[in-house]
Amino acid sequence: MPIFKETYNLRKRIFTGIIVAVSFILSLQLFKMQILEYSFYDKRSKINSIKKIEVDAPRGVFFDRNMEMLVSNKPSFTLQIIPDKFDMTKIPLIENVIKVDSGYIKSILYKKRKYSKFVPRKIKRGISLKTIAWLEEQHEFLPGVNYVIELQRDYSFGIKGSHIFGYTKEITAARLKKYKGDYLRGDEAGASGLEMQYENLLRGIKGKKYIVVDSKRKTIGSYLNGERDVKPIKGNDLVLTLDKQTQQIAESLMVKRKGAIVAIEPATGEILAFVSAPEYDLSLFASITSGETLQKLFNNPDKALFNRATMSIYPPGSTVKMIAALAALEDNIVTKNWRINCGGGYQLGDRFFGCTHVHGKTNMVKSIEESCNTYYYQLILKLGIDRWSNFVSQFGFGRKTGIDIPEESGGILPDRKYFNKIYGKNRWTEGYLLNIVIGQGQFNVTPVQLAQYVSLLANNGRTKTPHFLRGYINRNGELHKTKYDDVIVDISTSSLDVIKTGMYDVVNKPEGTAFNIHMKELKIAGKTGTSQNPFGKDHSVFIAYAPFDNPKIAVAVVVENAGYGSATAAPIARDIITTYLLRKTVSPKYPVLINKTTEDNNEN
Amino acid sequence: MKISHKIQDRFDLAIFIPVVFLIIIGLAAIYSSTINHPVAGGNFQRQLFWVFFSFTAMIIVYFLPSQTFRLLSAPIYVFSILLLIAVLVFGKSVYGARSWLSFGGVGFQPSEFAKIGLIFFLSYWFNQKNRNINNLKDVGVGLLIGLFPVMLILLEPDMGTAIIFIVITLALIFWNGISLFGLFIVIAPGFTFFASMLGVYYFYAALLLIIAVLFLFKRDLFLSAAIFGMNLATGFILKYALPLLQPHQQKRIESFVNPMADPLGAGYNALQARLAVGSGGLFGKGFMQGNQTQLRFIPEQWTDFIFCVIGEEFGFIGSILIIVLFTFLFLRLIKISSNLQNRFSSSLLVGIVTLLFTHFVINIGMNVGLMPVIGVPLPFLSYGGSSLLMIMMLIGVALNISKNKR
Repeated sequence: MPIFKETYNLRKRIFTGIIVAVSFILSLQLFKMQILEYSFYDKRSKINSIKKIEVDAPRGVFFDRNMEMLVSNKPSFTLQIIPDKFDMTKIPLIENVIKVDSGYIKSILYKKRKYSKFVPRKIKRGISLKTIAWLEEQHEFLPGVNYVIELQRDYSFGIKGSHIFGYTKEITAARLKKYKGDYLRGDEAGASGLEMQYENLLRGIKGKKYIVVDSKRKTIGSYLNGERDVKPIKGNDLVLTLDKQTQQIAESLMVKRKGAIVAIEPATGEILAFVSAPEYDLSLFASITSGETLQKLFNNPDKALFNRATMSIYPPGSTVKMIAALAALEDNIVTKNWRINCGGGYQLGDRFFGCTHVHGKTNMVKSIEESCNTYYYQLILKLGIDRWSNFVSQFGFGRKTGIDIPEESGGILPDRKYFNKIYGKNRWTEGYLLNIVIGQGQFNVTPVQLAQYVSLLANNGRTKTPHFLRGYINRNGELHKTKYDDVIVDISTSSLDVIKTGMYDVVNKPEGTAFNIHMKELKIAGKTGTSQNPFGKDHSVFIAYAPFDNPKIAVAVVVENAGYGSATAAPIARDIITTYLLRKTVSPKYPVLINKTTEDNNEN
Repeated sequence: MKISHKIQDRFDLAIFIPVVFLIIIGLAAIYSSTINHPVAGGNFQRQLFWVFFSFTAMIIVYFLPSQTFRLLSAPIYVFSILLLIAVLVFGKSVYGARSWLSFGGVGFQPSEFAKIGLIFFLSYWFNQKNRNINNLKDVGVGLLIGLFPVMLILLEPDMGTAIIFIVITLALIFWNGISLFGLFIVIAPGFTFFASMLGVYYFYAALLLIIAVLFLFKRDLFLSAAIFGMNLATGFILKYALPLLQPHQQKRIESFVNPMADPLGAGYNALQARLAVGSGGLFGKGFMQGNQTQLRFIPEQWTDFIFCVIGEEFGFIGSILIIVLFTFLFLRLIKISSNLQNRFSSSLLVGIVTLLFTHFVINIGMNVGLMPVIGVPLPFLSYGGSSLLMIMMLIGVALNISKNKR
């Protein structure tokens, strides 16, 4: 096809011309830049490069409900090493000066060996001013060693709150990937507790700083005197529901004990005090601590890192007897005047279920006041498992409360489905119910669930999801309040009044199991419990609310291996209540036990 | 049949060898810019995998029967259009543009695949029987074939890729025998548009030039007036089109005019890239020795700014080598295409050259400060799997055509 041959030739020449011309222009530009203007570019590249640096934003701080400071930030010196220039023979000297084990620096450098050798590695936070002065003096002999001033969490406000606040950690690879672009490698991010839950509120927005650096990355100065810099924006400050004074007392009451305290304002679900004991030292996490110290903490036999208030599950003991009573009243199984005769226990088939003593004629109020087991053995047989478990579930047991920290477990609510799963259909008997109705056996709850349960009893079946966050203060100083879901149990006031009378009598009648904590100034209602522990001494449990007529605080206390509820947990609850409501602590010498029966009362 | 010449005749080493060299140099540059990088440290290995994968694909394409390409033209085009629509719906955004689809963790840019579809289908369309490129309807349909994917890509929005589609469309219209007047009608609006971007006076100058050319062609008055009116209208597109661009793209166009004005903003990359290239000098600073590269002054250098790694570390010698290798490859492909009897194959080769050449010009131009910063990878050298795979499949097509040329 000659025509095409012809046009091809013309068009081929045009294409060839364009290709050659463009390549020639590009070559010419390269020649101009790399040969003719080489010295200009060379100089610019060596001495004058503008580098963008990200400036960390201070994290928001924590206030309590009265705007008292709980956790703040403080500046601290951090030692850094830049491997490019660092002289490895100086390692022992530096390790000696900053008082760390030998091998510490090497392990950190090894951990970050994949980073560019020009990037500084943070070695240790919280370096003393004296050490910094020494570093300045020795500057010439320690190439590649320097320090930066960083903000570090300041926990010096008199409360620990280790399981509330939690800690921050260098960001994990997984989170880095998930929030691509929001974080850089080496950034700190909340890793537990409120620090993790409210990471997005707390973290703030990074700033930018432009500096002029030379080709060895040495800073020459700021660019345009910093007029293009962007200041970091501090994270939002969190206003918590905690009451600092109550929290302080609660923590002091649990020193050298194991267990948990949760105190809630019944109407709002606001957590006033929250302790999981033993606590640990949050400042260990704030500094870059050697792996060994942390390992010790992780392997602690008392499991200090474990949040007992939301994660530990305990049999609630007699504190949950009121649920069976309420269910029976609401479903018209018995009236409040239904009486049994307690002869010290109950025979079901070939098994005898014991009571604490012989209570004789016992009605509902008395069954709560004196914690009679026999009453509930007989009641649950009338009630049946389904009615019972339905009510237990309404009170929030068997599932997470939704408290605003990431660590929580849901406990175990043994209902028909549960028993069928564990034992198989029809392979379990009513005898099993006799244990769970008095809060033993498979029935397991967390302290925060118990606190929510007391709140519901105290506030006529209405509360809100337990929470720590009242709101946050944004950078303009405005307070944004947070809203929470209602938690509602549908029960009649008349039924509740019966239960409440019983709980009032527990503390205020001489026969009551917690009469030891009664006081004139304040009407407290409560219920003792003993949580059976197959691994050692029983746990002491107590739930309470006060004032009786207009409840402002509901408390759940669990003290591990401390025996009966009245002995250890009840006085602790009383002290928390008086601190919060009366702003004073009753002297630590508890009143001598008045009633002998109370003393050897073996309530379950 | 002479056995001794067989391999040389069939497997075109003049295409293959420059490609191999370019890929090797690209791997070296990727290694240098990423191996110590905290996030991109694994890129070299990933690219190495893609290189092997792409070579395999190239060899498969090389052995395909020659009729395959004609048969596949329409399906590939239709499929690639569907993918472009899919990416607008399901795609994931990277740097402000929704251009990535993900298959089980592997990212993939449908616009890369669509480039193949465009080249194939346009070549097919213009070389059907009874097709007359100087017929307004036929060339109009050809333009539509090219501009439909352009519209979809502008929605992502990815200006660099859209420009490449436009250039390929125009080049194929040209190669397939459009008359000079026809070509003028097609190109003039683009020319006026570009002039209007530079400023009002450039726009007036362009309009004057168009009037002059119209006089030269001596067509009837009505047609000439219509063409002039069309060009006048394009001048106003910019006024309404510029706000449609992404803010980062507007900034890039501005910073092209004067990159030094804003050394921290959009001009930052362009300035740092030029510093890297210029400071390379005659022999370069040496492999892994470039301070601009090793200190990471240029973000994501291993993709669109890979050329300045070569400029900095291998100097003028290395940069010129790249340009020579590319030019040699382009000229070789053009030479083969102009000697082909099969017009479809010839058109395919020209499409491939245009694709590679446009990438080459925009990318290197941007690295040396002759072009605005438009995100377009450098073929064979930039890090990126789907781009390399697409290009190597096209090289497979070229080798296949070269094999069957007699």
